[in-house]
Amino acid sequence: MSSPNGHPTSGAAPQSSPKGGRDVSLPMTRVKTIMKSSPDVETVSQESLFLITKATELFIMYLTKLAQRNGDNDQSVTYRDLAAVVQRKDSMEFLHDIVPKKIKVSEYLEIMKNEKLDDDDIL
Amino acid sequence: MAERPEDLNLPTAVVNRIVREALPTQVKVSKEANAAIAKAASVFVLYATSCSNNVSAKANRKTITGGDVIAAIQEMEFDKFVHPLEIALSQWKGQQNRKKEDAKRKKEKAAASLGSASEDKRTTDDKENEEDDDEDNDDDDEEAQDNANME
Repeated sequence: MSSPNGHPTSGAAPQSSPKGGRDVSLPMTRVKTIMKSSPDVETVSQESLFLITKATELFIMYLTKLAQRNGDNDQSVTYRDLAAVVQRKDSMEFLHDIVPKKIKVSEYLEIMKNEKLDDDDIL
Repeated sequence: MAERPEDLNLPTAVVNRIVREALPTQVKVSKEANAAIAKAASVFVLYATSCSNNVSAKANRKTITGGDVIAAIQEMEFDKFVHPLEIALSQWKGQQNRKKEDAKRKKEKAAASLGSASEDKRTTDDKENEEDDDEDNDDDDEEAQDNANME
């Protein structure tokens, strides 16, 4: 059963809502594993683990909403919508190689062909 | 403990749920988009960790603190996250303190029953470890489900 705004109504509301609560949906143990895989990281306080987990949830919501609102169609979220947001936002520069814009093979070959010509000019 | 590749990724089922709850019900999210969001989120963890670690290192500390994370989030230009994070943190700290109080009270109650062999000889630290173990178990279940769902 869903309420009008799309959120499921259930008795366990605080737990299932990732929005502003003290609870987190993402597993903190997994987040900790990822954090520890980062070089030079020594000790991670429980507080910092909680904050990074929570921040990641906020980020997921933020990225999702941006993609939907600025996408081609506000009734769907496609890879293209995501790539457009990531490439445009300065704050998402760290994701430029992770969510690249896609081009057709023919476009790629065209680019490569032109680059080859440039090299020939120099010689 | 060797890290399997899937350990460094967030469970897709949970990410998908967060994505769904961020949007009106009728909006469709492509499989490719979901996968990209999950990947982006994992990279976000790494990036935020790295930035937080830089903040700690500049202060000559080896432990990343909550304050380091808040400072890093601002440096990363996600200032709008700071306020909700601070609220969530104070609620979470309150909850953690309540858990500790409960554990403490239980321990005191058990100690109060003199003479009889107290079952509850565990210390608060043991209890905290137990809580962490419980977390690990939840994660194993998710991992098992995740492995079953692996593309």
